[in-house]
Amino acid sequence: MLALVIDDSRAIRMILGRILANLGFEVREAGNGKEALDVLAAAETVPRVALVDWNMPEMNGLEFVGAVREDPKYRSMALMMVTTESEQSQIVRALAAGAHEYVIKPFTPDAIEEKLALLGVLTNGAAQ
Amino acid sequence: MTAGPILADGDLLAITEQIWASYLDLDGASPFVPLSSAEPALDVHASVSVTGAWRGHILVTCSMGAARNVAGALLGIDLDDVTPEDVSDAVGELANIIGGNVKSLMPEPSALSLPVVLVDGNVGFPSAIEVGSLVGEWLGEPIAVQVLESTAEKDK
Repeated sequence: MLALVIDDSRAIRMILGRILANLGFEVREAGNGKEALDVLAAAETVPRVALVDWNMPEMNGLEFVGAVREDPKYRSMALMMVTTESEQSQIVRALAAGAHEYVIKPFTPDAIEEKLALLGVLTNGAAQ
Repeated sequence: MTAGPILADGDLLAITEQIWASYLDLDGASPFVPLSSAEPALDVHASVSVTGAWRGHILVTCSMGAARNVAGALLGIDLDDVTPEDVSDAVGELANIIGGNVKSLMPEPSALSLPVVLVDGNVGFPSAIEVGSLVGEWLGEPIAVQVLESTAEKDK
């Protein structure tokens, strides 16, 4: 099962990548929303989930969420914001734009796994 | 801009300890150690700025040794393999996460900038006053966090 990690920090991409790989995901990475759209366009299958940072250069996470929500091809992809943005109004904006879950940095592996379980993306073999 | 102290004693330490527990000291064997005072370490500066209902900057400064330790731990690589880009990325993300958590304690709404990292340079925020600080060390290397509130409006 494919997962996409979108963060301008290589360190965070690696941390999330390790967590996801331990849960059985094949992981692709992108450094911003625009790169992520390119990764999606080149991927043979639609990722089951994308973990999306908010503050990134070129195209931020909110813009990315809006872009993929406009494309029915990616309707099956769960979107989880993983960000330092913790204002209630920001969380509401992200969820209104189409994000399904929200994790505030710093996160623990357990928190990521718990949110993925809530999204139902661990029940189809990724965590086995 | 503000009527009184926004950051309580211990806020910065709590944020920092949470980051260490999540990313840098997973087994609790090498915690961030707060100190009452420390020699300034000015090798690496990483800052993020907040604009909006509260305006200011969150600045992380540390020795190159500390920066390399942070990069190695975050990226899961040997210190010998840490590159200057890794240092910038890791310390920038450290400032980003600390800054985001500090921002959450400040009046809303506000926006957080992308991190800016400077190695062997001199960072100054002349129109700002310190409203919070934390000094300490990790693995014997100094790390400091400062929260600076913009006074630009007051200066007008």
